[in-house]
Amino acid sequence: MIYAGIDAGSRAIKIVLFNSRQDAPLASAICDQGVEQERLARGLFDDLLEKQGLRPGQIARIVATGYGRNLVRFASETITEITCHAAGVRRLVPQARTIIEIGGQDSKLIRLTPEGVLRDFAMNDRCAAGTGRFLELVATRLGATLQELGAMADRSRRPAAISSMCVVFAETEIIGLLAGGVPPEDIVAGVQASIAGRVGAMAGRKLDPPVVLTGGVAMVSGMARALETSLGKPVGVAPDPQMTGALGAAILASRP
Amino acid sequence: MIQGPRRIALEEWDARYSELRRAGMVEPPYGGPLRRHVEDGDVRLLKLWFDDSAAALRLWNFLLTEEDRLRQARALGRRLVGAMKDLGVVPVMAYSSPRLTAFYPDGAWWIPCMMELGAGLLRLAAALGLDESFCPVRAVLGAFLTGAHFPIPDLLTCSVGATCDDFSAVAQRLNGLGYPILWWEIPARRKPDPGEPAVDLPGGFSAPRDQVAFVGGELERVRSALEALAGEPLNEERLSKGIREANRVRRRLARLRRLAYAADPCPLPALEMLIAEMLAIHFCSDREETVAVLDILLEEVGKRVQARVGALPSKAVRVFWVNPVADLRAMNLLEDCGARLCGTDFMFGHALDLIPEQAPPMEALARMARADPMVGSAADRADRVCAEMRAFGAEALVVSRIPGASHCATEGRLIAEIVEERLGVPTVEIEVPPVCDALTPNLRTRLEALVEAVRARRGK
Repeated sequence: MIYAGIDAGSRAIKIVLFNSRQDAPLASAICDQGVEQERLARGLFDDLLEKQGLRPGQIARIVATGYGRNLVRFASETITEITCHAAGVRRLVPQARTIIEIGGQDSKLIRLTPEGVLRDFAMNDRCAAGTGRFLELVATRLGATLQELGAMADRSRRPAAISSMCVVFAETEIIGLLAGGVPPEDIVAGVQASIAGRVGAMAGRKLDPPVVLTGGVAMVSGMARALETSLGKPVGVAPDPQMTGALGAAILASRP
Repeated sequence: MIQGPRRIALEEWDARYSELRRAGMVEPPYGGPLRRHVEDGDVRLLKLWFDDSAAALRLWNFLLTEEDRLRQARALGRRLVGAMKDLGVVPVMAYSSPRLTAFYPDGAWWIPCMMELGAGLLRLAAALGLDESFCPVRAVLGAFLTGAHFPIPDLLTCSVGATCDDFSAVAQRLNGLGYPILWWEIPARRKPDPGEPAVDLPGGFSAPRDQVAFVGGELERVRSALEALAGEPLNEERLSKGIREANRVRRRLARLRRLAYAADPCPLPALEMLIAEMLAIHFCSDREETVAVLDILLEEVGKRVQARVGALPSKAVRVFWVNPVADLRAMNLLEDCGARLCGTDFMFGHALDLIPEQAPPMEALARMARADPMVGSAADRADRVCAEMRAFGAEALVVSRIPGASHCATEGRLIAEIVEERLGVPTVEIEVPPVCDALTPNLRTRLEALVEAVRARRGK
């Protein structure tokens, strides 16, 4: 039986097909999120099925997750991204006890029991300062891509101090730092440290190891290291971190 | 087919109202269809879900006609007391005189929600220097300036000290605008030192005798002011009767909470429970009618519990809720996500506890004031929350923060940590602004994830 998980995130839509007989993912796809969320999700889903030589009727069940999950009306069920990331990461890193998921719009800290059951979670508040949106803003301001930011941060010798709690004001600070001659790589490393600091504050004392970083921001090199510094604990990165929510949704779709 | 109780939207209430009228529903003078309040500007009602009973209709109508009652009281020559930052002591004293009507101007913090910011009260407060970095209770400033939501009281009292920094700032500003305030001071509650003479307080707390005596002295000043306003003494006999009458309300609320929070399926939705509990603070400006409203509600809930029917599905996730919400819609949202209320701490537990009837009345009121959760530690609040969560079988905790409110900004996390440690249940913190429409997806995710966490445990 084939099951599908659709993660309709704020920046991208991700789909994973899961073969329950083989107990393994079958295929995946990703596209940018947009205004017509259901149409985009449907288009991506149909394309993926076509590439796999499947018909919609062959998909036993679809679980939608993510910020836009309720707009994926062709899904059989919706489950929050918190539960789905937990299921996806647990599949890839079975010993994980704490999951940090930093997405485009929010960040989450998810705690699991030793048996892998969702114990509890915390999410950042309305501010974008602890999210991928902050990195996007910096990339735009520095004329770099998100992928290039990681390499820039790696070259930093002295991360800049970003003191603002608000992304909008932080942008003003960044302009000031650039005007003051601070190298862009130090600004990027400073922003990563700022995001990590936010996540660290959200984590408080709730941090059982191993800690696994997932979500789109995990692909930006240097973020895991910044989190390790902030949390004082080793932080691993989930394999294919952008897809863990969709993977978890597909796995949960396959469960009775 | 006979339909069981359910939650309905406002448009369904029109038909339901006609149905209840045809069935012989008897209404009080303030009765009528809910929709008329929308025409008065309470447009938030269009987005809420309500219990469909005649008892709930009466509760809502009672709440939404308070302004009329206050204006009527003034027209009848009664003197109005605005009891600010006081959740259950000064109103008990004021209602001991038949010449006084007390109300809770701080209740204006819900006007921006009910009118979806249409009244402009927060804008007026911001123009006076109190912007969104303060608790939405700042709306009270706008309400005083416009005079459109309640008559300006003849006497304003306000507790100050360990209660609430935000409200102290708001009240100071009000004072500066030319509204005189009788301040009465209330220090932080501390545990008695070893060997120090102590007094037992309602709610299971204790405090040094000196602290209770000090607060008693402050309340004596309030009594003198009330006597001067009423033009008659508030003697021991009157105060004792006032306390007994307040306890009539509190006993009913205690019974309602026990019935509604323990039963499955949930017999009364979260929103109506919140409104009912709020009646304890100042009786919605009519103590006798509060008793009548609660009696009818209790009868309805009792019938539902006996018939094992409810307004929500059976086995909904049992959630304990800490702190009141600025947007009432959040209570609906909890239920939309598959949960139900099974206990609350809206920061006025002392208005729900019985006032000691054996002690001299002023001493009893001083003890009551000392039991205010806001003047105690977060650990004290957490103790009470844990005890009620155990009693009502709560499976999860929601700590709701009020944007800008300094009092609950850090206290919520402390309470959640203690609850997690002692009870091992999942907890979540949310922040609910006066109109939460734009944040609904975010709030929904948190509440749904909480429900999923509980269900995962159930299935373990």
